[in-house]
Amino acid sequence: MKVFLGQRAWLVQRASALTLLLLVALGAALLLLGPALNHERWHALATSAHGAVIIVLFFAALSLHGWVGARDIVLDYVPSTAARLSVLSIVAAILFAVVIRVALTMAAHLSPVS
Amino acid sequence: MHISIYRYDPDSGENPRMQDYAIELAPGDRKLLDVLMRLKDVDDSLSFRRSCREGVCGSDGMNINGRNGLACMTSLSALKEPVVLHPLPGFPVIRDLVVDMTQFFAHYHAIKPYLIDDGTPPEREHLQTPEQRERLDGLYECILCACCSAFCPSYWWNPDKFIGPAGLLQAYRFIADSRDTGTVERLAFLDDVYRLYRCRTIMNCTEVCPKGLSPSHAIERIRLELVRASS
Repeated sequence: MKVFLGQRAWLVQRASALTLLLLVALGAALLLLGPALNHERWHALATSAHGAVIIVLFFAALSLHGWVGARDIVLDYVPSTAARLSVLSIVAAILFAVVIRVALTMAAHLSPVS
Repeated sequence: MHISIYRYDPDSGENPRMQDYAIELAPGDRKLLDVLMRLKDVDDSLSFRRSCREGVCGSDGMNINGRNGLACMTSLSALKEPVVLHPLPGFPVIRDLVVDMTQFFAHYHAIKPYLIDDGTPPEREHLQTPEQRERLDGLYECILCACCSAFCPSYWWNPDKFIGPAGLLQAYRFIADSRDTGTVERLAFLDDVYRLYRCRTIMNCTEVCPKGLSPSHAIERIRLELVRASS
């Protein structure tokens, strides 16, 4: 059984990059269209349901993209299997923690739907 | 013309060094190989490979002023002096500009560079439509000079595991061939994190190919074929 797959990681990297591009474009459109940007507007966008979904999706896609990139670096620069698994475990734990932290933060600050 | 050439003789036990030469151009000198062959007459210890002298055999690949190319296809008029010549980067040096291509050709053989036909052999020949034949353009012209693989950072880093741009271009040449029935087996072999997916689309291969081919395009086609095969 192959431990490190090729095609799936490549597809994840492309799909996450496209998702990031779309979310950045969507976020930019949301911010640039409408009234002037100030703290209240930033806050309202970040605590709205669609703003929170965009932010969580953005960090999830960023983490997936970062995971494939980090995995590529480890495959090239860390030849020992034990060291590879250690480094990859740490990277995976950090990226997973980032996404969970962002999701929890967004959920905690979500404005109640009126 | 001033030329600085990488010299290395493993039998001498000395470290590699650069040796400077000054040579008057003769009226018939057009390509870098012309000058190298005249230098060889002056200094017969200088080693380099060459054969056809017209960009067909792929023997005289070397690093010319920091860029891989064929000495026989490199015009003297386009070269900035001093011309600095190194062996193909990333390849083990046997002597001077001669490199060990064993690993390179092992990858080439691994991709099965021949038609696989499991069907009944035709009575006379395999026929192709003009469109099917056209798909091989830009692929069959590769002369295996290794200029692309020796200019690929991913190949420098994983020369034992990554097939490299030359081998992958050759692999796609048979995947794209309508007469070949081994596509499934070829794709299964290439679907590997090292063999194919060490390519990071740096595209040095396409930039440097002396025959104007595009290994990076062929690699992209293999990836798309793999996606198609798995969906």
